[in-house]
Amino acid sequence: MKLLLVEDDDETAAYLERGLIELGHSVDRMSNGRDALQVSQGRYDVIVLDRMLPEVDGLTVLNAIRTAHVTTPVLMLTALGSIEDRVEGLEAGADDYLAKPFSFAELIARVNALGRRSTVQEQQLLAAGGRICLDRIKREVSRDGQRVSLQPRELRLLEELMLNIDRVVTRTMLLESVWDFHFDPKTNIVETHVSRLRSKLNAGYSDDPIETVRGAGYRINSFA
Amino acid sequence: MPRRAVSTAYRIAGFFSISFAVATILLGTAVYLVSHDALQNQLDERIESEMASLLRIYKAGGQSRLVEAVVAREEIRGARNLGYVVTDTSRRRLAGRLNTEIPPPGWSKIPFRDRPESDDYARALSVGLNQGGSLIVAADGEPIEQIDETMISLFAAAFGLMLLVGIAGSYILGSFIRGRLDQLNRAAEDIIEGDLGRRMPIRSGGDEFDRLSTTLNRMLDRIGTLMNNLRQVSSDIAHDLRTPLSHIHQQLETALVSPPGERDRAAVARAIASLDEVLKLFEATLRIAEVEGGALRRSFKDVDLSKLVAGVAEGFAPAVEDGGRSLSNAIKPNIVVKGDRDLLAQALANLIDNALLHTPAGTTVWVELARHNGGPTLSVVDNGLGVPDEERTRLLQRFTRLERSRSSRGHGLGLSLVAAIAATHDAELTLDDANPGLAVRLAFPITGGADR
Repeated sequence: MKLLLVEDDDETAAYLERGLIELGHSVDRMSNGRDALQVSQGRYDVIVLDRMLPEVDGLTVLNAIRTAHVTTPVLMLTALGSIEDRVEGLEAGADDYLAKPFSFAELIARVNALGRRSTVQEQQLLAAGGRICLDRIKREVSRDGQRVSLQPRELRLLEELMLNIDRVVTRTMLLESVWDFHFDPKTNIVETHVSRLRSKLNAGYSDDPIETVRGAGYRINSFA
Repeated sequence: MPRRAVSTAYRIAGFFSISFAVATILLGTAVYLVSHDALQNQLDERIESEMASLLRIYKAGGQSRLVEAVVAREEIRGARNLGYVVTDTSRRRLAGRLNTEIPPPGWSKIPFRDRPESDDYARALSVGLNQGGSLIVAADGEPIEQIDETMISLFAAAFGLMLLVGIAGSYILGSFIRGRLDQLNRAAEDIIEGDLGRRMPIRSGGDEFDRLSTTLNRMLDRIGTLMNNLRQVSSDIAHDLRTPLSHIHQQLETALVSPPGERDRAAVARAIASLDEVLKLFEATLRIAEVEGGALRRSFKDVDLSKLVAGVAEGFAPAVEDGGRSLSNAIKPNIVVKGDRDLLAQALANLIDNALLHTPAGTTVWVELARHNGGPTLSVVDNGLGVPDEERTRLLQRFTRLERSRSSRGHGLGLSLVAAIAATHDAELTLDDANPGLAVRLAFPITGGADR
């Protein structure tokens, strides 16, 4: 993907750039808001924007981008982690908001999620070589044509993984999208649900289409 | 600053005294005009009735009788009141001592000189007689003029008095206000200088200034509380950071001296994990401070508490079961409170987390949402080991952990966040003995029949 990174802290920028390039993305880096405004017109798949910038701050840049009808997804980074700041950022037009410090896996998972082409409109989701099928309207899952009975939450969890097919979905992202929790409970409800999902989905099978990516999250693949 | 306060007070008082003075002038003018008119009319009536009676005499007795009557009247009354002139057809004066030229018929104002020096005016009525000639009856306007002059002086004096009273009043009012404001200013200056415990003075009168002082004092109390919170948070953070930070230090030192391989990677991984714990601690502390700050109340909306509690409980259920415990719930539907959805979810999640962390396997956890005494009450009750009375109060303070759970996960902030969230939602948080176990209740304020 073609990414725009707007970050004034050189160390952080270098770190992010390195990681993103290693994963095969192309990165343009700007270090202040004014420069960012000049290049931001729709040539990028995702914009990673730091909130605290010199000259023109991140929120102002975001407002300007949205006013100019640039619909590029924006992931806002910030050292300000308060609830109010997050709400402000999202209301200003950010598609996602990540507080520093974050793990790189978290950042890349969210960038990937933002950059995905719209599978959101599709009714049927497929995975594992087409053997797993999820019908979003009927709320049904089948494996090799056989119906798999799932609790609504488990189905939602699988849906989220399949919407982000071939990409890592972090625990935090799942907590937000499946449970609507903007915090991390001490109890590992995600792991529990994934394990339940697995036991139901994999009953009678020896392979597990759901992959645990250590230190990152979970992933389901288009091909087994 | 005091100068400004005085000028406002002066302005107000000045405005009012000028208004009263202007009102006096207007009133005076009205009174003057009305009474002047009335007196004038009275005079005219007198002239008319006199004229009427003289005309009756003329009608009855002709010119000679008229002349007699006029002369007689002049003898009796004296020259000051009414003046008369009777003329014949050739304008020759027949009677009357009124020293004036002959006006045309009808009402007119004639100059008349009853003393050679004076130059007075009189109101005159002139009537043509049947046989020729005219009869003129006139009255001196001087008494009216005198009354007019008196009235004008009176009202001028009143106006002047009003102005004087106004000026004096402005000064007094200004000084009074300035005095009260100076008191407040001085108290504020002291607070700025550092006397943070100082409060605004309150007299027992209960007037506007006292109300202002009371409100300012409440504001200062609130600021004081927030500052104390901040101080407490800083010292708590410092206190609780030392251990994990020194762990991280040790782990990274180990990594530094270990040859590249499993050992140093493991040490670095542990350091990162410790760092994450530290960051969670920071975030939890800041979250508590943010919630206690109260700013989030501004964006409170209606929250379907029934749906929210059901959702959270259901989200936890599998994890509860996997841990060898059970979760059951009794949730009344359609209970709505005003608040923040995310905070309420987090509060409930923290309570369920705690129930799982601090109870042994086999414990049952109940989540209940019902109305008690008109207000929605959320309860999380477990039948575990419970908490001794003395410790229950301490539990709500930051960073406190039960002695026996010291080694378990969690940094003890969960319950204090719940307390902060409860407070900001105006809900009462209580911890009770569930015999056995612990019952945590959040009693929300009574809503005015919000059951939709």
